[in-house]
Amino acid sequence: MLPNRSRLSVLIFLLPPLLLYGAAVLFPILQSLFLSFFSWNGISDMEFVGLANYARMLFGDDVFWRSFFNALGYLAICLVLQLGGALLVASLLASLRRGREVVKTLYLLPAVISTVAIAFLFVRIYSIDPVGLLNQLLDWIGLGGLERAWLSDVNTVLAAVSIPEGWRFTGLYMLIIYAALLSVPQELEEAARLDGASRWQVFTKIRFPHIMPVWITTTIMATTYGLRGFDIPYLMTNGGPGQSSELLTTYMYKTAFTSTDFGYASTISVFIVVECLVAVGLILFMLKRKADA
Amino acid sequence: MMKMIRTAAVAAATVLALAACGGGGSASSSNVNPTGEIKPREISWLLSRPADGAVINIMKQIAADYAKDHPGFELNLITTPDRPSYIQKLETLAAANKLPELFDTDATPYAQQLAKQGKMVDAEKLLKDLGVYDNYRSNALDYQRFDDGSLYMIPFQFELEFVWYNKKLLQQAGVAAPTSLDDIPAMCTSLRNAGITPIALNGQDQWPLERYMAYQPFRAAGPDFIQKLKRGEAKFSDPAGQKAVEWMAALGKAKCFQDGFSSQGYSDAQNLFTSGKAAMYNIGTWELPSLATDKLNPTVRDDVDFFTLPTTQGSVTAANEYVSPSGIGMAVNAKTYDPLVSDFLKFALKKYPAAYAATGALSPTVDAQTEIPANASPLFTKALDQAKDLGGQQAMPWDTQLDPTTNGRLQQELVLLVQGDITPEEFTTTMDKTIAQNAPKFFK
Repeated sequence: MLPNRSRLSVLIFLLPPLLLYGAAVLFPILQSLFLSFFSWNGISDMEFVGLANYARMLFGDDVFWRSFFNALGYLAICLVLQLGGALLVASLLASLRRGREVVKTLYLLPAVISTVAIAFLFVRIYSIDPVGLLNQLLDWIGLGGLERAWLSDVNTVLAAVSIPEGWRFTGLYMLIIYAALLSVPQELEEAARLDGASRWQVFTKIRFPHIMPVWITTTIMATTYGLRGFDIPYLMTNGGPGQSSELLTTYMYKTAFTSTDFGYASTISVFIVVECLVAVGLILFMLKRKADA
Repeated sequence: MMKMIRTAAVAAATVLALAACGGGGSASSSNVNPTGEIKPREISWLLSRPADGAVINIMKQIAADYAKDHPGFELNLITTPDRPSYIQKLETLAAANKLPELFDTDATPYAQQLAKQGKMVDAEKLLKDLGVYDNYRSNALDYQRFDDGSLYMIPFQFELEFVWYNKKLLQQAGVAAPTSLDDIPAMCTSLRNAGITPIALNGQDQWPLERYMAYQPFRAAGPDFIQKLKRGEAKFSDPAGQKAVEWMAALGKAKCFQDGFSSQGYSDAQNLFTSGKAAMYNIGTWELPSLATDKLNPTVRDDVDFFTLPTTQGSVTAANEYVSPSGIGMAVNAKTYDPLVSDFLKFALKKYPAAYAATGALSPTVDAQTEIPANASPLFTKALDQAKDLGGQQAMPWDTQLDPTTNGRLQQELVLLVQGDITPEEFTTTMDKTIAQNAPKFFK
């Protein structure tokens, strides 16, 4: 327990960031909530429409639902790549004896490349005319039949725009998980090995439970980032072809700034906030239940 | 905590309400000749034109000349060449009631709302007052007009859109330049059979594909079709609309556009044509410096030619009527319009045409003769000559006509239609529904 005076100073120091957070995050969210009850195009008079925007979103807008399910697909692919990839690489890295720093740096590199550059890079990789890297590789290994315009095919485009986002942050999460893995007490692992535990058992019974708190944080981070995904799909396909790679975020942005329907766009953004809260709640709930079990 | 949220919500409401109240402009849009002293200051022009293009370079020069006699004057040119980003910037500034003295806009439904609210100076009155109205090409001014005929934007360009083609590639495939729009799908099939990409298309920017959608209705029903369509008075299920839908589907089926066109950009498409890989390319005279001069790739230079938009059987518009845009127009903010802005515009608009024509471009006025650059090919003159023989009607690009939501949806659905991912029937149903939902809000 801190003495009184020092608690006061802590509070004083906490106040500025709290105010900043309130102004930059809470205030816009409340503003969106407020705007979501209006019909407003920025220059017209604001017209109160009650829950009409919500009714339209939930029951009358096929693009909204399409974007919602696309966003879930995008999230799933990103999570598998980011968390699965990160765990795999971090585990391999932990058992590596030499060159750890080099491998770590290499994996982390994509996280520091600008998003726009990544988007352009992948547009070239997926291209068919002129032939891009991916189609060229497929041709070389004798899978020429799979060659296609990855970003124009409605069946592949969602995966094609999710992969760069997943690839990009795998290194970052790898670093976090790797740090956690290093903190697993060696004695425990050794004791388990002496008792005859296999590598898999050591991983599932000792390592993974030990890194659980870090894993939860990473999962929450990756999920919220994934739900907010915007830039790469927007830059690569602008949601197309059709609505095949439209996410809730890109749809909200277009509704606000192309259709100038600020009221309805706010309604969608309120939905995104709720969706993020629900997702985090679900993760915590599931992990807690697992921990209790 | 609850109380805090409530306080914040009330604060948010108050701020918004205040912002909304500030929306009305007080200046009149029809007083084009404000009286009073000219007080030089810095004025801004928010534009969406190439950063190093002729318009900006010339206006910079004109502003510098004007500043010599009016110390303290400065023209601040803020350009955002990428159109979607520009429109977002403009709309945000308009929502905040912070539009600069001059700003670019097409004759979109949104701009019409701004004009109706008295935020823009009546350009017809302004040009007449300056005594330059009659110098303008009627096509150039008509392009800038809203559907009610009112004029709020001043053109700075005049362009013609042609289909450029590679004679050698057509010959290889054993086809001739089309005489009717309806010839094109069959032409594409022959070209594909000869291993040639028929048409290079910039699918990423979306408007180029939307142009194709406008052609059949313009020929079958004239310029009125889109005017009615956007208000929901005509439908895609009408004969003219169906002709367009079926034709777009046929273009897709004949694989007219390069594979994966939807993710290829402006320069990708142009390279495809100028490197001799694609047989046709639909673009305007703003590309003359790269298509009709010695800058063009030597291997295709002698094979390139162009044709204007083909007609169709029973076409109600003539062969010399097609897309002839005068580019994005410049609007004058009514709120900040004062003797200085008025005097500067008077000075600039009189000097601009000759300076612009000297760069080898078509002036929006008829009083300036375009100078042919020294490195031009004969095609350059041929292209400019088309401007002398233009009909009275023009095909309007649909992206400037439709309400933004319908336009966005149309651009998306068109790609699906051409790729064969949806049927013409599905396309028609979706689009008619979209217009019915969105048009009433915009065109009340």
